[in-house]
Amino acid sequence: MKKLLVLSLVLLVSFSLFAQVVITVAGGAVGQELELTKKAAQMYMTINPNVRVEVLDTPDMADDRLGLYLQFFEAKSSRVDVYQIDVIWPGDLAEHLVDFYDYKADMVTSMYFPSMIQNNTVDGKLVAIPWFTDAGLLYYRTDLLDKYNLSVPKTWDELERYAKIIQDGERSAGNRDFWGYVWQGNSYEGLTCDAIEWISSNNGGTIISPDGVITIDNRNAAEIIQKAASWVGSISPAGVIGMAEEESRAVWQAGNSAFMRNWPYAYSLGNSDGSAVKGKFDVAPLPAGRGNPGAALGGWQLAVSKYSNNIPEAVEVALFLAGYEVQKMRAIEGSFNPTIQALYRDPEVINAVPFFGSLYDVFINATPRPSTISAPRYAEVSRLFYQAVHSVLTGRRRAPDALGELALDIADLTGYPVR
Amino acid sequence: MSSKVNAKYGISKLAKREERLAYKLVLPALIVLALVAFYPLSQVFYASFTDRTFASARETNFIGFENYKRLFGITIKELPPIIDEETGLQQIDEFTGELEFVAPFRILPRNPRYNELSRFNFFGKKYVIGARDPDFLRSIGNTLTFTFFSVILETILGMIIALTINSKIKGKGPMRAVMLVPWAVITVVSARMWQWMFFPTRAGFFNAFFDRIGLTDGSTGFLTDVALQMPAIIAVDVWKTTPFMALLILAGLQTIPSEIYEAARVDGASKPRQFFSMTLPLLKPTLAVALIFRTLDALRAFDVFHVLLGGRRYSMASYSYFELINNRNMGYSSAIGVVIFFIIFIFAFLYIRFMGVDKDE
Amino acid sequence: MNKNLKNILGKVGLYSLLVVIVIYLLFPFYWAVNSSLKNENQLMMTPATFVPRDFDGNFSPTFENYKSALTDSQFLRGIVNSTIVAFSVTLLSLIIGAFAAFSLGKLRFRGKRTTLYLILAMTMFPQVTVLSGLYAVITAFNLSARLSMIFSYMIFTLPFTTWVLTAFFKALPVEIMESAQVDGATPFQTFRKILLPLTAPALVTTGLLAFIQSWNEYLFALTFTSIDPGARTIPVAIALFSATHARQEPFGEIMAGAVIVTIPVVILVLIFQKKIVSGLTAGAVKG
Repeated sequence: MKKLLVLSLVLLVSFSLFAQVVITVAGGAVGQELELTKKAAQMYMTINPNVRVEVLDTPDMADDRLGLYLQFFEAKSSRVDVYQIDVIWPGDLAEHLVDFYDYKADMVTSMYFPSMIQNNTVDGKLVAIPWFTDAGLLYYRTDLLDKYNLSVPKTWDELERYAKIIQDGERSAGNRDFWGYVWQGNSYEGLTCDAIEWISSNNGGTIISPDGVITIDNRNAAEIIQKAASWVGSISPAGVIGMAEEESRAVWQAGNSAFMRNWPYAYSLGNSDGSAVKGKFDVAPLPAGRGNPGAALGGWQLAVSKYSNNIPEAVEVALFLAGYEVQKMRAIEGSFNPTIQALYRDPEVINAVPFFGSLYDVFINATPRPSTISAPRYAEVSRLFYQAVHSVLTGRRRAPDALGELALDIADLTGYPVR
Repeated sequence: MSSKVNAKYGISKLAKREERLAYKLVLPALIVLALVAFYPLSQVFYASFTDRTFASARETNFIGFENYKRLFGITIKELPPIIDEETGLQQIDEFTGELEFVAPFRILPRNPRYNELSRFNFFGKKYVIGARDPDFLRSIGNTLTFTFFSVILETILGMIIALTINSKIKGKGPMRAVMLVPWAVITVVSARMWQWMFFPTRAGFFNAFFDRIGLTDGSTGFLTDVALQMPAIIAVDVWKTTPFMALLILAGLQTIPSEIYEAARVDGASKPRQFFSMTLPLLKPTLAVALIFRTLDALRAFDVFHVLLGGRRYSMASYSYFELINNRNMGYSSAIGVVIFFIIFIFAFLYIRFMGVDKDE
Repeated sequence: MNKNLKNILGKVGLYSLLVVIVIYLLFPFYWAVNSSLKNENQLMMTPATFVPRDFDGNFSPTFENYKSALTDSQFLRGIVNSTIVAFSVTLLSLIIGAFAAFSLGKLRFRGKRTTLYLILAMTMFPQVTVLSGLYAVITAFNLSARLSMIFSYMIFTLPFTTWVLTAFFKALPVEIMESAQVDGATPFQTFRKILLPLTAPALVTTGLLAFIQSWNEYLFALTFTSIDPGARTIPVAIALFSATHARQEPFGEIMAGAVIVTIPVVILVLIFQKKIVSGLTAGAVKG
């Protein structure tokens, strides 16, 4: 009898030692991203052998990914533990996410950029850890600026002028498909990014101010949006109002554009073998209007689902993946912009990706979209905004009317006052 | 027929046995559908009367017909002209050179909110039609236009192809293989493929081609130009689903015995005459079913709008998806689903009535 | 002389129309093949080239995309999954639909019209509307991804097969049935030995259409297989093809995947259609 007891005890103990907790991480799994995430997962598993980390690939299109996540949350599924979420989702998804502060995250939060931590804090709860960041940049053709004796444009007016000069020049030289400036003008979240860069750089505010006042209906915002509408068909192709990131990159990388607004990912792609612009371009902060240059803050965060069966382990995995070591590896091997301040001073990182150093200011001063202040209805606010901007770009309405109506629409939705 | 007489004066034993067998045969279909469809569909109906949010623990309230009122709320208001205080005349817009009127959003009711749907002139005065959800009403228009043209084109083309394959024309064999191709290509991929062909620079096929033959300048936005959007997606859908119509019509043609054509030829009837007075009537049941399903599918069109036109122009189904995923308005999205259901139901009912599909022999 | 001229003109007109139709149907597929043989930079070239060329204008196709697609394990497994799911759905829809269609098309009973409408009503909802409800059901019952796809596709294919087969059964002359009944055959025997071969074209056609509809389905498959990558079907596998960088869309690879899958399907369908239809109708000639 005693032997049986001891035996079962031994079995129980050894079983719990080998019992594996499986943590599923859902997120981007595009080529390199997937490899690096799997590599990081491997690093974690080496240190913690009783946890198995599985990486689940999800659609790359942010819309489809959000739709999928929502299905999981609606069904309160426990199948996914850690979610990779867009920088604008913490507010809207907060009710499904675990508060990292409950798991002693305040010991590590100081190493991240404060603005990002603030972005991910909803009602005092830290619902996501910043993983990698993104900001809108101006790509420009170094060879063409040289050819036409121009400098890097610092204002939107300069950009317009230079783009026209280069476009006219290149077209008369024989390239009929050449355009001055390509950007993202389709009716989707990306337009909110482009447009918020315009208006914040023209002292037009950021749609809703951080203290909850709807500021979008102002002359500076209307002025710059109307200006952007004038680019459609003149220095930008008419189809720019249907372009997202990949479409604008297609025009740029074929050598058919003098300037492009896009995220950092296009940098290494542009320098890949076979690219028509290889070695012929560089990046700079976006131009400004009446104010300071604005760059939309992008990036992804890691969050833990409330419906997970292994929350403490999942939090550990998330914190590890977003930790110093993994972020350094991702920066060097994949050019992913870290969210840890110290990494921007790490010589190995700067060596691998030079513009991390030169564009440091752009990244830490990036303009966040008003996702936190309009939570949990940011998606709707953004949609009202980009639809209003799009209607100006298509010429259907004039900016002052569109923005006036927009302010009222947002007020109805959020209850915030209009200034 | 004798069955009618029997039904009136009591059913004979044979008829009863037939009826029992009939029920037994139909049962599996009904069971499957009940199992799979019952919960989701009843959830849709129920949710349409609530303000439920998708993937949220927020409280769900029963709001009756509010969602429907919002979908169809319409009003008409007059737009007063903007009078220049000094001259007493109507101001002229400096950009467009037209007379200026007060912006609609200042006139339309605010509680609940009405947005501009369209404007029109009437006896010298300007009016604005406001709707609580102009995007939805536009999506109905888009869907109906799309359905009308797609179904007509697909039916005509499908008929031509089916007749060709069923006849003794030399193009028969290859045509059969060719016809299957669009339909065998995965739908999501073919949508992306057409989207690439429509690319607004000469990197896209249509721009390169039309530029080569001198029609355009190579930078037409087929999917962004309001006048070109519908023709573009109709072209895509007709391409994708003509095989469907062709196959169904072909199957119908193959059940028509060839002897009757022999007899007609001997009698001296011309080919077109044979078609209209013999083929078409015999084809009616097949054609009816094909039309019903094709129209139903077109009214539910999602992929082609979602992939090619995204947030620029909606069909009813893609708008419903948008409301669900982007705005997380599950109640509202369900109401849209119910409206789609009723619109489709009306179409189906009319088709069935006019083509006599549900009539007993 | 006039009649001959009209004949010739008619023939020429007809053949030109057929040529236009063939070009319309085939060209996009050709363009997909063309695109699949280009790398990203070739795709971006202006103007677009009819065959893959490099920057100097030389013919230069790349087979990288096909290599990536064929070495993607999810893609290969996707072919298996799609086949299993589409095949099961088609078989089930045909059998259950044929039973229901026989009774709806040939037998007399009360409530026929209601049943017809009820069955049709299932397809009157757009997919997006029933998606979340369905997902909740399968999560509650913990159904496997493949099983969930098979059952949920029935919502759309079963009404279709039922209605089409009903129309065909109804079109069949009653005399065959009545003569068979006189000969002593039960309704069931009539169904198996006489009706079935006669409706062969309808069965094959409906089966093929149901098969392709399941084969192409994306939205449900994406949601149901999201947590079960091993059960992903082709549309999902292709849509989830990953490029080398985030945000980059592997367009060439997607085209390659589609081409790889399309050609065997067309060949198979051709064989099926010709062989089976002729095989089944051979026996039941001259109804």
